[in-house]
Amino acid sequence: MTARRLLQIALVVVVLAYPIVTAGSPVWQRLGALVLLAAISASAWNIVGGYAGQVSVGHAVFFGIGAYSAVVAFVHLDLPPILGAPLGMLVSVAVAAVIGVPTLRLSGHYFSMATIAVGELVRVLSSTSDWLGGAQGLGGPAMPRTVFDLSFVSAMPYYYIFLAVLAGVLGLTWWIERGRMGFYLRAIKDSERAARSLGVSAGRYKLYAYMLSAAFTSVAGSLYLCMFGFVDPESGFGILLSVKILVMAALGGAGQLFGPLVGALILVPLEELSNSLLGGQGAGITFVVYGAIIVIIARFLPSGLLSLLERRPNAPTKAAPVNPSPASGHAD
Amino acid sequence: MVELSRRAVTIGAASAAFAFARNAAAEEVVKIGVLYPLSGNAASAGNYAKMAVELGADIVNKGDPELAKLMPVAKGGGLAGLKGAKVELVVADNQGTPAAGQNQTLRLITQEKVVAMLGCYQSGITQTASAVAEKYGIPFLTPESTAADLTDRGFKWFFRTTPIATNFAKAYSDFLEEQKAAGRKVGSIAIVYENTEYGKSTSTAIADLFVKEGRNVTMKVSYSANSTDVQPQVLQLKEKNPDVVIFVSYTSDAILYTKTMKSLNWKPEIMMADAAGFNDPAYVKSMGPEAEGLISRSAFAPGKPGSIAAICDALYRKKSGGGGLEDGSARALQGFLALVDALNRAGSTDPAKIQAALKATDMKADQMVAGYNGVKFDDKGQNTLGSSLLIQMRNGEYVPVWPKVKATADVVLPYKGWTK
Repeated sequence: MTARRLLQIALVVVVLAYPIVTAGSPVWQRLGALVLLAAISASAWNIVGGYAGQVSVGHAVFFGIGAYSAVVAFVHLDLPPILGAPLGMLVSVAVAAVIGVPTLRLSGHYFSMATIAVGELVRVLSSTSDWLGGAQGLGGPAMPRTVFDLSFVSAMPYYYIFLAVLAGVLGLTWWIERGRMGFYLRAIKDSERAARSLGVSAGRYKLYAYMLSAAFTSVAGSLYLCMFGFVDPESGFGILLSVKILVMAALGGAGQLFGPLVGALILVPLEELSNSLLGGQGAGITFVVYGAIIVIIARFLPSGLLSLLERRPNAPTKAAPVNPSPASGHAD
Repeated sequence: MVELSRRAVTIGAASAAFAFARNAAAEEVVKIGVLYPLSGNAASAGNYAKMAVELGADIVNKGDPELAKLMPVAKGGGLAGLKGAKVELVVADNQGTPAAGQNQTLRLITQEKVVAMLGCYQSGITQTASAVAEKYGIPFLTPESTAADLTDRGFKWFFRTTPIATNFAKAYSDFLEEQKAAGRKVGSIAIVYENTEYGKSTSTAIADLFVKEGRNVTMKVSYSANSTDVQPQVLQLKEKNPDVVIFVSYTSDAILYTKTMKSLNWKPEIMMADAAGFNDPAYVKSMGPEAEGLISRSAFAPGKPGSIAAICDALYRKKSGGGGLEDGSARALQGFLALVDALNRAGSTDPAKIQAALKATDMKADQMVAGYNGVKFDDKGQNTLGSSLLIQMRNGEYVPVWPKVKATADVVLPYKGWTK
């Protein structure tokens, strides 16, 4: 048994045991669930933003669709919110197709700008729809009616649900990464023109990546709603959300399997702890600290934290690098 | 070795003493979680509310000789019902997001062990934050979130001191009834409202109640608060010429309406506004002389010298180093004082006892900082006595004119508008 194998097993044990170990501290337990939830949307973004290199700054659209689908299932159909998740995925994929066909023709930052515009458009539209609760938003079940409402006091059930979903997203990403589509996407990222000239149907694969990414971001939105029980246009479709998803993936390492998870592992605790420790002062210093750390990482590690490992002289350079993240080994 | 163990003993003794001291201190402190937007786009309102709550804690802990004559909890030296326990505020920032609001509430309850929660300004954040308090069985009091459905969730630990849109509508209706009795024309009423959530929900609440009370709403005019021209709306009003107009508007549109009514030379018999834009200091400063006789509402008026409201206003001025209490900060302070009143009567930090005390709350009008008739919660946790004051623009500033008991001046009608 190699040291790497031992390390992997240890990480799996840590990941699986985390909510049990932290059972005495609901805040720490919840932090674990928050990290996983953020990692789901960032990993979903990674498929199109990281692997295909199409930097979407409007992923909140899909997150919001997921969250609103879940709350609409409850408010208008009287179903458990989570049953809205499949609907959210379908709507997100359809919306991704509608947005993607024209905008994915744009290259570089023009695509990013188009996604920002669409995001803002959807946010404004949602705030004028009475059916979606307008600017005030909609709330999920106030009190859990059955266990299917996924409304728990403890964060432990959320943790394991999020972990399973994240494992699914990462598993699928891993599968894509090693398959034909992964090669196509990397080729498109390096040079779309070159990829096209070699017969890669760039437009089609970019669209596939975008739709897949949208579907999983939507799931994250639905899960968010189950946990927090409320969504309004700002928390569902706000541009800050799109930026957060992007920053998390970029910070950890965009285009790498575990990059978004590493980003979430750093940023989510940083955000929560800085707000807990400094927020009460009321000077907005939280965001100063938060921003400063992002700037520092961006300055000194532009290709993400995972690049630190690659620089290590004796690090393995094969396809499966040492995974610094606890979710290695697929904890399912 | 000997040296080492001696040191260990010393450290052990010291830490034991420290732990004991902490325990002793812990018994004299009662922690209240305070959650407001201290960053984000509502940070200004949140910081004013925070300052008001801090003033409340000062009143309880340090006391105020003048206030002590009027209010039992203002004698200083903490809460008498809890053997003089001091109130300790644990302030947190909800960052203007429902998620942060919920995360921070969990922290305040499970880590800081607060015995009650106060907050959160934005209704959406109050919704997610109070859901956590409900699950943990910790009383949650909102002094200012007005979304109607917050008290329709069947929560047992949720309380709200602020009046909501239907209460405001009732105040307008009662006021118009009095004017009718005094011989003014109130036969046709127009409601002009901006077309987002605030305007829509408020105008609906007013119209529904007016219809129920048999008032004749003849026009409902909606518009976008971002408009740069409201001539069509004002011409529409001019043509139908209603006796009463009620505006539900933000700031820039309020200014625009006031200007346009002057330029088109039209004014109703009675012009009223649902606070918001018309209460913005920017409006009052620039449009005050153009809107003489305008009626608006407020949860706060300093009232007569020597009243609780007037004393708190002066204390707040000293603390803020500038402006006095206004609608938002007065409601926050009122919410805090209602919570402290319950804590004092509960005589315990047991959440169930605090909840029971909150349910039994019966504060009278003369105990109010805000312009309520008192604080008394119904089964849903809504304050049934949360009324509103009406204020009138006089020589460029608002003075309280209704109801009579809280008025410092008489109502002067008809609406005069521009003075030159």
